[in-house]
Amino acid sequence: MADTTYAYAGRILRVDLTTGRIWSDPFPGADRRKWVGGAGLGAKILWEEVPPHADWDHPDNRLVMATGPLAGLPVWGTGGLTVVTRGAMTNGATNTQANGFFGANLKLCGYDAIVFQGQSPRWVYLHVTDERVELRDASFLLGKDSWETQQALEAELRLTGHRLSVYSIGPAGESLVRFAAIQGDYGHVASKNGCGAVMGKKRVKAVAIERGARGVAAAHPHALLAAAEEIAHNLKTDPSTKGLYMFGTLGGVRNLHGMGALPIRNYTTNVWPEGVDTKLWEAPNLREGFDHRGHQCSACGMHHCHMQVIRSGPYKGQVVDEPEYEGWAGAGWAIGATNPQEVAWLNTQLDRASLDVNEFGWLCGWVMECQQKGYLSEKDLGFRLEWGDVEGAGRLIGMICKREGMGNLLAEGVKRASEKVGGPAAECAIYTMNGTSPRGHDHRSRWEELLDTCTGSSGTKDTGPPTFPTEWGLPARISPQDPVPVARQVATLRGRKHFEDSLGACVFTTRVPMDILCRSVAAATGWDIGRDEAMRAGRRAAALLRAFNLRCGIGPELEKPSKRYASTPVDGPIAGVSILDHWETMLDTWYETAGYDRKTGRPTPETLRALELDDVIAPLWGAGARA
Amino acid sequence: MRVLKIIPERCTGCMRCELACSYEQTGTFQPSKAVIRVSSFEGHTSYAPYTCPQCAEAWCLTACPVEAIGISPAGAKEVADDICVGCKLCTIACPYGTVFYDPDSHKAFKCDLCGGKPACATVCPTQAILYVEAGTEDWLASFAAERALPAALAGAR
Amino acid sequence: MAAKRHVIVGGGTAGWNAITAIREIDKGASEITLVADEAPYARMVLPYYLGRQIGESHVTTAGPQRLAALKVAARLGRRAARADAAGSKLVLDNGDEVPYDDLLIATGSSPVRPPVPGAEGANVHSFWTLPQARAVSGGIKPGSRVAMIGAGFIAFTILNALVSRGARLTVLEIAPRILPRMVDDAAAQIVQGWLEARGVVVRPGVQVTAIEDKGGAKVVKLKDGPPVEADLVIMATGIRPNLGWLEGSGVEVKAGVVVDARMRSNVPNIYAAGDVAEGPDRVTGAKAVHAIEPTAVQHGRVAGANMAGREVAYPGSLLMNIVDVLDLEIASFGAWDDAGAEAAVDLRADRPAYRKLLFRGGRLVGAILLGRTREIWATNDVGMLKGLVYTGKDLSAWKARLRARPQDIRLAYLATGTARELLPQTLLGGPSVPERDVTVNA
Repeated sequence: MADTTYAYAGRILRVDLTTGRIWSDPFPGADRRKWVGGAGLGAKILWEEVPPHADWDHPDNRLVMATGPLAGLPVWGTGGLTVVTRGAMTNGATNTQANGFFGANLKLCGYDAIVFQGQSPRWVYLHVTDERVELRDASFLLGKDSWETQQALEAELRLTGHRLSVYSIGPAGESLVRFAAIQGDYGHVASKNGCGAVMGKKRVKAVAIERGARGVAAAHPHALLAAAEEIAHNLKTDPSTKGLYMFGTLGGVRNLHGMGALPIRNYTTNVWPEGVDTKLWEAPNLREGFDHRGHQCSACGMHHCHMQVIRSGPYKGQVVDEPEYEGWAGAGWAIGATNPQEVAWLNTQLDRASLDVNEFGWLCGWVMECQQKGYLSEKDLGFRLEWGDVEGAGRLIGMICKREGMGNLLAEGVKRASEKVGGPAAECAIYTMNGTSPRGHDHRSRWEELLDTCTGSSGTKDTGPPTFPTEWGLPARISPQDPVPVARQVATLRGRKHFEDSLGACVFTTRVPMDILCRSVAAATGWDIGRDEAMRAGRRAAALLRAFNLRCGIGPELEKPSKRYASTPVDGPIAGVSILDHWETMLDTWYETAGYDRKTGRPTPETLRALELDDVIAPLWGAGARA
Repeated sequence: MRVLKIIPERCTGCMRCELACSYEQTGTFQPSKAVIRVSSFEGHTSYAPYTCPQCAEAWCLTACPVEAIGISPAGAKEVADDICVGCKLCTIACPYGTVFYDPDSHKAFKCDLCGGKPACATVCPTQAILYVEAGTEDWLASFAAERALPAALAGAR
Repeated sequence: MAAKRHVIVGGGTAGWNAITAIREIDKGASEITLVADEAPYARMVLPYYLGRQIGESHVTTAGPQRLAALKVAARLGRRAARADAAGSKLVLDNGDEVPYDDLLIATGSSPVRPPVPGAEGANVHSFWTLPQARAVSGGIKPGSRVAMIGAGFIAFTILNALVSRGARLTVLEIAPRILPRMVDDAAAQIVQGWLEARGVVVRPGVQVTAIEDKGGAKVVKLKDGPPVEADLVIMATGIRPNLGWLEGSGVEVKAGVVVDARMRSNVPNIYAAGDVAEGPDRVTGAKAVHAIEPTAVQHGRVAGANMAGREVAYPGSLLMNIVDVLDLEIASFGAWDDAGAEAAVDLRADRPAYRKLLFRGGRLVGAILLGRTREIWATNDVGMLKGLVYTGKDLSAWKARLRARPQDIRLAYLATGTARELLPQTLLGGPSVPERDVTVNA
């Protein structure tokens, strides 16, 4: 069969920053079907091209910015960017997403992915058009936050709106803050595992992609438009996504608080503090107080991703991107901030500086708690930082980005900072032992996320919240603190997210039954792909990222929560319940279900063979193992 | 006559109209060839699509030296590809900026209301584009003045 | 009452549009006589005939059937020799007299050649009429060396066709820059570089002194440099309105026939339209000859409507041109060369892109737009610039912004309600009717 490029550009853009050489490689049909794009493609490149000695800051590390087959097509939320690299937090594999228009615009220029290697001798930005790609001097962008960077490039390139996509690092990435993120198109953040630090180490300030004049063809365009409508209809009407459709992730605050999963004041409590107007924190009300403006990703109809103008208070008139649930948590509850307008402001400062909001929440909350308890003095930090002090938190951002004073230590993230400070302060920090930063939840009441975060090989969770578990023979609902079903669910659904992350689509708009999602992929690509093939592709990426980590020396001994992360809640709905009593049982179940070896952490040869990863058997299990 | 009525306040800048429109125009999803185009105002906080108002004067139609532009049953000024030679007189005659030239086909192209079923209106997730019985109006002037002009003044300082 | 007798001299764009405007209004109630030396055809599309994108039949505007269907008595192959204004008669070159109630002068232009030895020799062509286009087309083979004398708009309209036919081109221009009456120095320089990078030899600032034969080839001698050898020479050295026959008619002629807003000359029942008419200029308000196709269309329609008894005032024409050469788009509007205007210029270093906006006070009076074809048509800017210059919208609030961010033309256009002002305007007082839908009563 001819190698048609339906749904793909069919080329991978390669940039060697050391030499300045730019070229493109084909993304052949067989590779496309096996690795799909995004996470899958990134995993393949990481495994094949990054040797164990190439730490996150080594020139041989790769920074893969990939999209996938659905990007640039009319399925909702398909501007997707997946970043795969060896990240600064874990020094292992990273799989982190942002949306916006990256994927759509990149494909319209003729590429499915950008792969950076080497290290530039000077600060550059990559300028991509449909006929030319250039590394250009970025000195005029240095010190600018990511929104200022985008504005400066809009002026430089004479383009406005979505005619130009800019994904950049802020000052955080420039100073190699370990939890620096890559932010793009005003508010879309690939935030995990310090991918912004990798970009900073490579001295790439930004990637600027003009909306190219090429087209993306679908194998069956009418079927694709129908599948897109089916996805949209499902998102609007299914009880599991209706709220997301209406309010994005805003509903999370109230819902998670109800189950004891809203992280309040660095996990010191699970109940709203007194005097908080809890009504304000319900989904529709969280949009009050703002002049609310749509700012959707490519082709998306979700009422998610907005720009807002703050109507009153100290930040009146400022433009912010509406926080995700993660922002309300990380820039809000985790640090005791309870005024939505102030939280929205702080959240945007983090996006602009391009820092991971989750890690910032744990870090700032830790500083606040340590000061309150006297583990850190006012002198250590230079000022007094009380719970809920948003202005002070903003000051902290500045110190971290400039690595000023204690900011230099905090820039290493809460795990390293707390270990350095030691003593009782070390026991207050929330992290996993492999250096991953948990999402903005109190996972002590969401065991599936805690297990997932610890066992994940992506610098974050691997599975995510359960999406239509009944498709895989699992119960529709389980108790979040029921160890064995929780572990089985996490391991069984593993792969779905990696598949979604390979499509160039959004984690929220792919939250539809797998058959429906596959129909859109089939119509786009012309493949006869069903849910089993899709899941296999996802698990293949997951297994390969794990193999990569194992090769880098990141093994199962690090799959543990920090003391505070797995502590026992003192109040709220699950007061007194501890996950640690069940930890080993959960790991046993997880490993067995995943088809991974409990002792070594390796995917078993059988698992690898089933995933068509025969080539990985010998490197993982030794030459004697039968491929 | 039914026209494309734009309600700019509803537009979120998702550009889905451009994708669908370009598919109607070219058979692939190629927004550079869309004839409805989304502008952004004051940075990324306001968007609105803009397309041919199917004006009464029909500047494009009268300008064409080979009578390649006619009026379709849906009331759209429509370019006949087999007659158009690509001389671009229509594109400079049109004072709305809504007649384009396709460097690949060497023809002019413009909004033809998709033969009476405009794809942009069908796919708009927020109903910012309606296909309704109405008089043609400048749907964007007030919105653009309110949103873009302050930004212009800011840029001028 | 006897039917009114309209006589149209010239079957080009202006004449033909006058005929269809008359018929759109009177549905055949009047008599129309068309006097023309050629059957009506569209000169604008000859370059595409040369490029073999269309056949000869595509060029024709109206054949005998169409003329008959519109009840037009055609005197083809005839030229007007003289207008007898006092006697309201037209005298033809064969001595025939054609009486009229009103007369439209739409005799267009003819190409001019510099008075140098050899200018009328073999294999030296103009490219203006259909027979000339046939001759050039027949003379070109892949690999032919073509010397193009003149680098104005007309020359540029056929560059693509010549290149696509495999010609090896040398462009000679007497002025210090190419496209001297369409763009400024900066733009001309970009265009020259673009052409040179694509194998076209471009030599501005050279004067042709003679065209000689050498073997089967032509040698173009230059005052200012080495001669150019070619298999074929094309003279694109300008055009001149065909006005000679009006001498002594009493019709006032300056650069063209001076007409009022109804396209009427100083003789009340004599109208003029197109290249021969000196009519109102939209930007300056003064009278000017705009020998461009869009003006010919509008002149013809306005003249025809007024001749048919509908009093229509012409809002004035706008000088504008657009042409692409090898995928570089070049357009200019209005007073693009107004030295007294305030200019906002944006010249890109990283790509062939240039724009210049000329302001008088808050009004945009002219513009130059240049860029790669694909990039230009990803914007709405061509038509929007036309709209802004045409309406003369007050852009005071936008001036500084446009200077800093010239890509914001679209925003300035939308925010100033330019479309709102334009939408109610129609040239003839109602919705335009496609020519093909114009019919006469049985």
